Amino acid sequence: MKARAASLLLMAPALLLLAAVFVYPLLRYGWLSFQASSVLTGLEPVPNGGANWGRLLDDARFWTDAFQTLRFAVCSVALELAGGLGLALLLHRPLRGRGTLRALTLLPWALPTTVMALGWRWILNDPHGPLNAAIRSLGGSSYGFLSTPATTWFFVVLADVWKTLPFVALLLLAGLQTIPEDLEEALRLEGAGRLQILRRLTLPLLVPYLTLALLFRLAQALGVFDLIQVLSGGGPAGSTESLALYAYLNAMRFLDFGYAATVMLATFLLLLVLLGGGWLLWRRERAA
Amino acid sequence: MRLLVLLWSLGPLLWQLRTSLLRPEALVAPLLEGNPWTLANYQLVLSGDPPFWRYLGNSTLVALATTLLTLLLAVPCAYGLQQQRGLLRWGVGLGLVGAAMFPTVLLFLALLEIARRFGLANDLLALSLPYAGLSLPLAVLLLRAAFADLPVELEDAARLEGLDLGQRLRHVLLPLLGPALASTGILVFLASWNEYAIALTWISRNDLLTLPIAIARIGGGSVFTIPYGAFAAATVLGSLPLLLLVLVAQRPIVSGLTRGAVKG
Repeated sequence: MKARAASLLLMAPALLLLAAVFVYPLLRYGWLSFQASSVLTGLEPVPNGGANWGRLLDDARFWTDAFQTLRFAVCSVALELAGGLGLALLLHRPLRGRGTLRALTLLPWALPTTVMALGWRWILNDPHGPLNAAIRSLGGSSYGFLSTPATTWFFVVLADVWKTLPFVALLLLAGLQTIPEDLEEALRLEGAGRLQILRRLTLPLLVPYLTLALLFRLAQALGVFDLIQVLSGGGPAGSTESLALYAYLNAMRFLDFGYAATVMLATFLLLLVLLGGGWLLWRRERAA
Repeated sequence: MRLLVLLWSLGPLLWQLRTSLLRPEALVAPLLEGNPWTLANYQLVLSGDPPFWRYLGNSTLVALATTLLTLLLAVPCAYGLQQQRGLLRWGVGLGLVGAAMFPTVLLFLALLEIARRFGLANDLLALSLPYAGLSLPLAVLLLRAAFADLPVELEDAARLEGLDLGQRLRHVLLPLLGPALASTGILVFLASWNEYAIALTWISRNDLLTLPIAIARIGGGSVFTIPYGAFAAATVLGSLPLLLLVLVAQRPIVSGLTRGAVKG
């Protein structure tokens, strides 16, 4: 008993900092979301009942952004899981220079998002970027990739996949390493082809890792911020704006802290419902 | 296949390298007469005000301070958590998993208020406080998994020898945790080196910016006025330390993520 109390003491400093960084903000947002705190009130909080939440329900921009964020997250995470699985299978095979190959494929994940977001802007530049130069040399004419919603969206997803696919691949690689080689060998002796082995052995055993990657990446993608802020600024015409970017703009550009807090809390609650609901569904599916 | 993968991962980076070595005129006129190559972009970036290495230094300072602070807090916490039983252990574990997944950008407003109230804005060392908080969930989970891998008999034997908790940690347990500490430290270092939303709102003084913010500021104007040559040079310089780190520490990074995945 004494030992357990002492170990609680050991945890205290870390738990205090965690409470300050994660719990306090959520409580604070809960309080702020029932205050008017903007330029109109001289940035002082004034209770306004549930006005912020009423406004949120009627805020078309919020719901559009929620839909856009969800669409972005689902598409990019699906691509990352598929591509990450392929890359993991490749990196799992015994190859010459495998360590270096792993390190180099990991590099996009290790670099700051903003840095490569600007890099993509240069690659997509109209008319001087390499992509447009290639199109012109093939006889086409320059295209403003970042000035139509469809292409901007496509490249935002592409840039996200480029950056985070290696991370997913690494998680799955960890899973692959837990599969005993004898099992694979046994299946092969039974005459199973590579696709059959993948379907009957590898994928079922990877399910926990795929789930982990899915949950983790989905949570991160639903909070996407820096990539979109730098690559497209949420444009053109708000067509790539995410919930996190909308919350940021409310706080730092419109200086409406009460409403910004409401948007952030609502985003968090949506996330909780989506991931928690998905998790429960998955558990029931598995139990059945 | 290998080549294709490398082209996909490194292509955009190699293009930055090429851009950084071109004269500005060569960027807009691909078929320019004469020698298009130059180091002028690097000179421009390195002689700026403040010079570019300043941002590298700022980021390194914050990342090192964060890594140190995180490990200092996470090691005892992971050990303590491993000793707990029942509801507390389950609850804290679940909370840590939830916090590790939490999109950190949603926290910036409340953290900014704290920074303003306590005068922590524009202070690089203070910035490592929220960074350590954000890194703690993953760090504690990874280190707890490492503690769980150690044989119980080891610590029991040390206890019978009469070593107190501090001695057991320092002389018996920590030496065996070396690899886990290294991989956790590297992951924390990378995360805080690259953090954006909090650095963006906490730091406003130009000479204190961290690298991701400084580079994003270069691109702060409209799409057409970005000095792409200088920006590319900054990208290359800013990527080099990370390239070295990833090449050297590939193994601990992979094993760190692996351990996290197995136990997570």
